[in-house]
Order: sequence, then C-alpha cells, then structure tokens
Amino acid sequence: MNAYTKKQVLLSAEYVHLQYGEKKILRDVNFKIRDIHREGMEQGQVVALIGRSGIGKTQLFKIMAGLVQPTEGTVRIGEGQHAVKPGQVGIVPQNYILFNHRTIYRNLKIGLDNSGVTLTEAEKKRVIGDYAETFDLAEHLNKYPAQLSGGQRQRVSIIQQVLTGNKFILLDEPFSGLDILMVDKVIALLRKVSMLSEQNTLVIVSHDIENAAAVADTVWILGKEEGKEGATIKKEYDLCETGLAWKPDIRTDRRFLELIEEIKKQL
Amino acid sequence: MNKLKAIFEPLKVLDKKTMTTLLVAEAVLALLVWQLSGGGLIPTPDKVLKAVGTIFSMPDFIDNLFASIALTIKGMVLSIIIALFISYLSIVPAFQPIARFVIKCRYLTLTGLIFLFTLLTQNGGQLKLSLLIFGIVPFFVTTLLGVIDGISKQEFELCTTLRMNSWQSLWEVVIVGRLDQVFEVMRQNFAIAWLMITSVEGLSMSQGGLGVMLIKANKYVQLDIVFGTLVIIFALGIFFDFILGLFRHWLFPYTKLQTRR
Repeated sequence: MNAYTKKQVLLSAEYVHLQYGEKKILRDVNFKIRDIHREGMEQGQVVALIGRSGIGKTQLFKIMAGLVQPTEGTVRIGEGQHAVKPGQVGIVPQNYILFNHRTIYRNLKIGLDNSGVTLTEAEKKRVIGDYAETFDLAEHLNKYPAQLSGGQRQRVSIIQQVLTGNKFILLDEPFSGLDILMVDKVIALLRKVSMLSEQNTLVIVSHDIENAAAVADTVWILGKEEGKEGATIKKEYDLCETGLAWKPDIRTDRRFLELIEEIKKQL
Repeated sequence: MNKLKAIFEPLKVLDKKTMTTLLVAEAVLALLVWQLSGGGLIPTPDKVLKAVGTIFSMPDFIDNLFASIALTIKGMVLSIIIALFISYLSIVPAFQPIARFVIKCRYLTLTGLIFLFTLLTQNGGQLKLSLLIFGIVPFFVTTLLGVIDGISKQEFELCTTLRMNSWQSLWEVVIVGRLDQVFEVMRQNFAIAWLMITSVEGLSMSQGGLGVMLIKANKYVQLDIVFGTLVIIFALGIFFDFILGLFRHWLFPYTKLQTRR
C-alpha cells in the first residue's frame, strides 16, 4: 500500500532569511520537496506548513511564490532547480480572490489563456467543462463570484491555478472558517488536485494541525527556537516514512493522534 | 406594528414595496407641511407647480433646456476622457505628480480663474465648457484615484500567479475590473456637473440655458419661476441619475450582487 520512492527535488529553499528593518521574520529556512513516486499511481505531493498565527507563515508562503524577495537565500524550483520567479507558483489566498467582473467560466478561462498552451476556443470550453464537472462547478459556470459560496469560490480559485499550468500551488489557510463536513470535502478536493499530475505539489499553510496533517505527506513546523530571533522550520515529519500518509481514515489512528500531540508541543 | 418598528431599526433592509411607500409618504408629508406653512418668502407647492406650467409654455424653454443638457453632456464626456487619462497615467510613477497636482486643484476657486479662461478661449461656449471641465476634472480624478488606491494587493498578486505581465494586470484589475466603479464615479460627477451648469451658464448668457433662466427670474424677483426652474432642474437631475443607475446595472450586472440592497 505504501510502497514509494522519493526522486528528484522539485522545490527547495537554501538559507532563506527575511528581515524588515531590525525585525527578523524568518531565519535560516531550509527545505527540500522531492517528487514522490507510488507504484501504479499518479500521485503528487502535499506539504503542510504549520505554525502559530503571526509567526511568518504568510511571508514564507510569498517567498515560495516569488512574490517577496528574501533578504538572503534562494528558493529553487523545478527539475533544473532555478530560482523561483513570480508566476511559477500558484497561490490560493485565504479569501479566495477572483475577478469579480468575470463569470466563473471566464475566471477559469483566464487561467487557461495564460497557460502557454495553444488551444482553440472549443478546446478551452471542453477543458473548462471537464474540470467544472469533476469539481461540481458545472452549474455555476455562468454565475459571478459574488453568487458562489466560500467553498465553491475556493474550488474555482484552485482550478484557476491548475488551469494556468501551475504544478506548485500554495494554499493559505484552506480550512479556515469551514464546518467539519466542508473540511472533509476540502481534504477530498486537495487529494483530487494532488492526484491530477505526478508533479503537482500542494503546500498548505495552516494553523489547523489536525486537518493539515491529515491530508499531507510531509509536515513542516515553523516556529522560533529558544533564544533565537525569527522563525525557521524547526522540525520536518515525513508521514510517508512513518506510514501515516495517504490514509483516508487516518484520524482514528492512534499514532496520528500521538503525532498531533507532539506537533502541538513543538509550536 | 413590526413594519413600523423595522423602519426605525438601524441597518434594517426594507423590501422594495415598504421603501417606496415610506418614500412617497415622507414626500407627501413634506409637501403638506410646506403648503400649510404658507411658505413665507418661498412660494407654496401649488404656486411652484403653476410656475412649472408657465415655464413649459415659455417659447425659449426647450432651447434653454437643450442648451444646458448639451453643455453638461459635452463637459462630462470631455471631463471623463481627461480624468481617465490622468488617473490611468498615475499608475506609471513618472506621471504620479501630475495626478497629485490635479487633485489639489480642487482648492482653486473658479471665480479667480474666469479672467484667465476668458483670455484663453475664443467664445462664450468655449469659456463655459472649459470652466465646467476645470471644475469637474479634479473631483473626478480624486475619486478615481481613490478607486485605484483601494485595489487590494492580492488582486495584483493573483494576476502575477496567473502569469500576467504588468500591462495585462493593469488592464484586468484597474481598467476592466474597475469599469463599474468608474461608471459610478461618472454618475456621481454628473450630479456635480449638473449642479455647476447653472453657475457656469451665467458667465455667457447669449447661448441661453437653465442657468440664464434662473438669473433672469432672480433679477426680476420672480420667485415662483425661480423655484419652478429649480424643480425642473432637480427632477431632471434625478431622472438622469436613475437612468445612469439603470445603465450601470445593465452593463455591469455583478455590481447588484455585491450590495446589501
């Protein structure tokens, strides 16, 4: 069930520091996300970046997306491991920003228009229709974002990034403000997106430990070390190695509950 | 009883029927108080109504009305073009000081500039138009820059992650994405233009206009005609505002989805 191999590095950070004036936000952040291969399966990667509110998660998130330049260090992307540029990593912000003047169809189309893939209008319509069908949005394509619920907007926001061709998608607090049933739906959605392509890599930035860990194959703890200013990745949990990844009923596993307790202590 | 309570409850959104009833009732009440108070210096509603009838029968009324409307529309169209040009240019850092200066021109009085504009223009029509434009553009640019400044950083970040360049982001977020708000700004400024028109028309009376009618009636202390003209100006203003509001919802249907009412 859990036979897997980790291959080339897809996203990495080397000695990333971020400082605003005298205030050190991030210190010495290092990580490597590798392409995980599972036998007979098309499976991407899901990383959970967990930390307390105000610790610098969003800043690290923006550095990973190339939207903020770190004071020192580099984030590298792809098989060639070149420095990340804005537009190479998709983001799904907490409030699911969409273009309010465009219908859902046209919001999705703008992703496809900028994907660099040449498609006819009919082909674009078919591709958008397929995604809308898969993610239960088919009946909403002619609506405006203001007419959708939070969960529907989240799905549109994620698919918009997928259609742009972004293999790396960062999600800021995807479980925020959702009831338990919706959380399960979002977890299912994230699994579905991660399985669309072998290289799809989702990084979930959250302070919701249980839900983020339930969907992830790797958990990073962002926090401060004693006596040192600025947050760093204090600990990395490889859930594939410990057999806690890719299990739909993971929440009932005693080892998972122990892991959650251990993570809480780390924060 | 509940409905009565609701109309005095803060933030309560009333249904369309109740709101219309409330509006009509308050208007009737105001007219009634006005009529019964005798008006004093102000002519009572029945006299104003009669004066409106008289104004409509004046041979030059239609000409004056169209002169005012034509001048307002001409002034508005030119002001929109100039204001949009300045506002969109302000996104390019090199042009930002120009936009900031135009905003500050709100504090320049028109009266002091009439002489300069008289020298710079060739006839009364041009003088009125240029003063109208000079009066509207700073307010228009101020509101437009407010709209642009209010755009969240996240929208531009979304464009970046969708691999759009700066020009595409400008087009999508600032120009097309805010067209509904530009239209609303235009609607608000149409009111300012309509308000200014009567003052500006007084500067060159040969071409007529509702402002000229007002000045003449004031000169001969025809208060009923003055108020009759004001009622016509007021009613036309409300009518234009309503039409522009309808257009806004027709052109930008999503705007209706984002408001409480």
